[in-house]
Amino acid sequence: MAAKMSRRKIAMYCADELLAGHDVFGRLAAYLSETRRTREADLIIRDIEAALADRGVVVADVQSSQALSSEARQAITSFFGSAMQAKRVVLRESVDGSLLGGVRIVAAGNELDATLRRRINQLKASKL
Amino acid sequence: MNVLTQFAATETEAAGGDIFSTLGIDWQLLILQIIAFLILVWLLGKFVYPWLMKSVDERQAKIEESVKAAQEAEAKAESAQEDIAAMLKEARKEAKDIVVTAKDEAAAMVADGEKKAKARADKIVKDAHEQLEKDVIAARKQLHNDTIELVALATEKVVGKAVDSKADDKLIARAVKEAE
Repeated sequence: MAAKMSRRKIAMYCADELLAGHDVFGRLAAYLSETRRTREADLIIRDIEAALADRGVVVADVQSSQALSSEARQAITSFFGSAMQAKRVVLRESVDGSLLGGVRIVAAGNELDATLRRRINQLKASKL
Repeated sequence: MNVLTQFAATETEAAGGDIFSTLGIDWQLLILQIIAFLILVWLLGKFVYPWLMKSVDERQAKIEESVKAAQEAEAKAESAQEDIAAMLKEARKEAKDIVVTAKDEAAAMVADGEKKAKARADKIVKDAHEQLEKDVIAARKQLHNDTIELVALATEKVVGKAVDSKADDKLIARAVKEAE
């Protein structure tokens, strides 16, 4: 039975392997299954993303009400380059019409919610 | 006087020297009359006068007693009159005091009542003001919330249709720029 490693060590190992061009997710799934830590999968993925961000690779979840245009995509990529000194940016895009407009970005544990839905919710939350 | 004495002496000598006979006085009858008179005096002094005096004394005592009782009654009446006058005076004084006290108490009750009524009225007015302020605040709050809800709903309806890809790009570009 494999020894139990901390999430941080697993994330650092996986990040290094991914940057080296190796497919690590099969081994990670096997390890988590063997060590009965499948419940931590989401947390470990988040830690891997954080480790990748430390190494200049940012993986961001981008939600918008409509499909991102090339200009919007470029603006987001430039934002990560300047804000997080990212050398490479990977966007996981998704469309959610309920956001009404704007964009919601989650990357390395940080969130930027610039959607109209959030502003409307903020307006509703200002009720006395 | 001398003329009468001389006349009598003359007449006595003319009648033989017995003046009593001349005057028509009978010695024996005179003595009997004197004795009878003395007996009468003695009888009166022995039996009638004591009883009469006793009766007079008793009557006098009764009269004196009656007078004394009358005087006492008069004195008592005067005393009673004085007592009545004193009692009337005291009663008048007490009545006056009672009236004064009653007036004071009535005035105090009226003043107290007015004070309580004023305090109650002030409290009612104050409560009404407070309730009015609360109602106004609640109405404003409700209006504020309703306005927000309406604005949010309208914005949601309008923006959902108004935002096209171009506007969305502008929104995203502005959001990213503001985040930097």
